[in-house]
Amino acid sequence: MLVYGFAQRALVGGMIIAVVCSVISFFVVVRRLAFVGMGISHAAFGGVAIGLVSGVDPILAAGGFCTVVALGIGWFSRKGYIHEDTVIGILFATAMALGVVLVRAADAYNLDLMSYLFGSILAMNWNDIIIMAVLGVLALAFVTFFFKELLFFSFDEETATASGLPVRVVYYGLLVTMALTIVVSIKLVGIILVSALLVVPGAAGMQLYRNYRRVMVASVIMGIAAVIAGLYLSFWFDVASGATIVLVLFALFLISMALSPRRKYMQRWRARKRGTARTA
Amino acid sequence: MRECRVKEFFEAPVEGPREVIFLDDVWVSLGGHTVLEAITFSLKEGTFLGVIGPNGAGKTTLVRTILGLVEPDRGTVCVMGMSPRELRHELHHIGYMPQQVLFDPLFPVSVYDVVMMGRTCCIGSLRFASRADREAVMESIEAVGLKGLEKRPIGDLSGGQQKRAFLARALCLETRILVLDEPTAGLDVEAQENFMNLLERLKKELGLTVLFVSHDVNVLARFADEIVCINRIMHLHGSPLEVLGSDRLKEAYRCEFDFLAGAGPLEKAGE
Repeated sequence: MLVYGFAQRALVGGMIIAVVCSVISFFVVVRRLAFVGMGISHAAFGGVAIGLVSGVDPILAAGGFCTVVALGIGWFSRKGYIHEDTVIGILFATAMALGVVLVRAADAYNLDLMSYLFGSILAMNWNDIIIMAVLGVLALAFVTFFFKELLFFSFDEETATASGLPVRVVYYGLLVTMALTIVVSIKLVGIILVSALLVVPGAAGMQLYRNYRRVMVASVIMGIAAVIAGLYLSFWFDVASGATIVLVLFALFLISMALSPRRKYMQRWRARKRGTARTA
Repeated sequence: MRECRVKEFFEAPVEGPREVIFLDDVWVSLGGHTVLEAITFSLKEGTFLGVIGPNGAGKTTLVRTILGLVEPDRGTVCVMGMSPRELRHELHHIGYMPQQVLFDPLFPVSVYDVVMMGRTCCIGSLRFASRADREAVMESIEAVGLKGLEKRPIGDLSGGQQKRAFLARALCLETRILVLDEPTAGLDVEAQENFMNLLERLKKELGLTVLFVSHDVNVLARFADEIVCINRIMHLHGSPLEVLGSDRLKEAYRCEFDFLAGAGPLEKAGE
């Protein structure tokens, strides 16, 4: 598979996406932002449509559009005028509707648009990978430098605010980082399925460990494994890359659930193992 | 520069104890409703001040106003000689424990991680924890008697142990003032007793000024140096004996209740 240029590009891009999405997914899960992720990703359809119609790179257009939507979700819900889920419900449907109208008006229903919706192993060029790498580095830099603030804010926002933490910067920063992460993942995974990459690795990691460092490592390993296996399977079975990656991720999530130390049979098995070791 | 403001305040020569918290004619409204009206009191260095009042009296709003999280409509709020705006850069000298920490019990953090969160503002932005920060965290964990449990997930601890972990988080800053909003709510009698004894010991050892919001007049009768009673307006301010023995307390609570009946140790003190 790797003799083909498109497969090499998909693999390099896929690895970048896996690392960035898996790191962000930890905060998406602990801060309960899964629906926000879904809202932003679906809103990306409006951004892609603006790009296709106006002639701007659809990924860049989606990046700008998703950032505005993410900030809008944050602003409306923090001001307390409307609940967060209501804002997402409104903005995500409106952005998709805008996308549908623009695409229809410009008669841009084509294979290119379908690849944005469902992801394609063939869709990525080296330009996309450079954009992915730059945005990925920015996202990871934000998480690295604001990690302790993000952790405190996610755990206990009230005390974080009272101790003088810049919670607004952290919250909006996290939303923008999510928006950019979603945008870089669209070409490979697709608008419809990208939110899974932002939720499943973190959720699977949380099943296995109760220490955030281990959760993040497990999340990144599972993200990378899912992308590699998903790309390989999508190449051999000639199916959409995004859907295959998400199905592999789901399988990993089920395995994590089954192996979770929280399951009673796992606790009994561990106790038996400890007993055997002591006897030996 | 940051250090200077608080250091200057505590090192400046004054006659008698310093006024660490000072409120003068403070009015606060939330959503168009007046929550606090003409609140005036001061808290001297090293004092344990209890704040009481019925539900919805504005106790938490008072705490949030002192911390600079709520802006008063009018009046003066002065903490360690600073206005709320100036205080924003000095909040690492105030340890705060909210009424309820609504956290996910499955949140993958240990007791150590939770206490380290308290150091976040001391460490500063774009920096990582140093050895001194790690030592400060371990000292706080030891001070509240949780040594040996620092690696345990926070969700696995009992309610009393969790409260102690949050107290350790409030202490591991460069704490001068401790603001506790109903910290003993939901604890059984033994855990409450342990928590209060621990707090009294730490107050003496570290020379802390404590502002303690509670519904439990028995606890405050035993441990507080002064009590403030509010119910939108300021009803009473004085020693526990003066406040809990006053008829105006019934007016504040709008009910007939003998507050001193349950405060056994206070009666002894009064005798």
